[in-house]
Amino acid sequence: MHFSDYESDQSRLYNAHHGDINSAESKSKVKNIWKITAYLTLITLIEVGIGLYSHYSHAEGGLKTAYNIIFILMTLLKAGLIVSIFMHLGDEVKSMIMMILIPLTLFIWFTIAFIADGAFWLWINQHVYTWSK
Amino acid sequence: MSTAAIDKKQAWGGGQSPFQLSYGKIMMWFFLMSDAFTFGAFLISYGTTRFASVLWPDSNEVFASFPWFAPNGGAPMAFVSLMTFILIISSVTMVLAVHAGHCNDKKQVIKWMLWTILGGIAFLSCQAWEWMHLFHHNGTLWGSFRNGEGAEVLPHLFNHSHIAALTAKEGAEFVTRESADAAHKFFNFFFSITGFHGAHVASGVVLNIIILLNTINGTYEKRGHYEMVEKVGLYWHFVDLVWVFVFTCFYLL
Repeated sequence: MHFSDYESDQSRLYNAHHGDINSAESKSKVKNIWKITAYLTLITLIEVGIGLYSHYSHAEGGLKTAYNIIFILMTLLKAGLIVSIFMHLGDEVKSMIMMILIPLTLFIWFTIAFIADGAFWLWINQHVYTWSK
Repeated sequence: MSTAAIDKKQAWGGGQSPFQLSYGKIMMWFFLMSDAFTFGAFLISYGTTRFASVLWPDSNEVFASFPWFAPNGGAPMAFVSLMTFILIISSVTMVLAVHAGHCNDKKQVIKWMLWTILGGIAFLSCQAWEWMHLFHHNGTLWGSFRNGEGAEVLPHLFNHSHIAALTAKEGAEFVTRESADAAHKFFNFFFSITGFHGAHVASGVVLNIIILLNTINGTYEKRGHYEMVEKVGLYWHFVDLVWVFVFTCFYLL
């Protein structure tokens, strides 16, 4: 295919599945969408359940940290389901998936660096600048 | 075009899309990446400020009201769970609209786009209620709790045992000053971040309405495909995705 072919008509690059909506293939796809919906709802319910239990049982310290780690893991799981299934990123070619995912790994540094900075700021306020007392 | 897998060596040789995607869809992904970093920066600065604070408002105390059933608190997490569920469902109806578009089924696209728009409006209405409630109940908006104003509601926004322990250790004056400072920052971040997210939902609803009108007018039927539904769908799912993180950062952690 010549360069100008898709440069002029972008719709040539759009390879959607032109099946009938009542076909078996279509029905199994819809079924999968509802399955993912059930997962997302279930994960959210578990999060809310843990959150309420943590609140009413007055969880502190290490236990609270453990709950928070569970919340973050469940959030990432939900994000993964939305991006790979609902946004169809899982169906794209590998180089496209990598182009989206690799820059996002910056968040690992970004989160750790800034949160640590905040914690250090608190520490220095409490231990060095004692005027705040 | 041929949809056969492109040979890796040939993929970047020119003359074809290495990603097998149209320009518009790749650009939507790039836009969403930049938006993800904007939201990420907001949420991380929220986390940094929280880690730098002696005290922080307890979401179970701040967000504990539900219209009609618990207008004065007592139902932590309930209302935000409903909002989260509404947004998840509107994301699902959007995938179903995209799926109907794949099948070139105009009627089904219209049906699911209508549900998606309804879900978006329902979410925005919930958010409007939540904001109004916080304002009327606690007097909170941007800039609250400066110069000692509104100090009487402060004890209701924090974990009571944390406040009691810190008062015993540092004294009441310290706790009042630190809790006012923390609540001031908390609400600035809350209204800015949920406001920025709400603005995304609102513009998403407008885009969805445009797509719905185009579908009804037969624009995509004539074009032969419903890729526009898919592109706007990406944006709509992203808005849901951001909410997943906002929900965790503001209501769970």
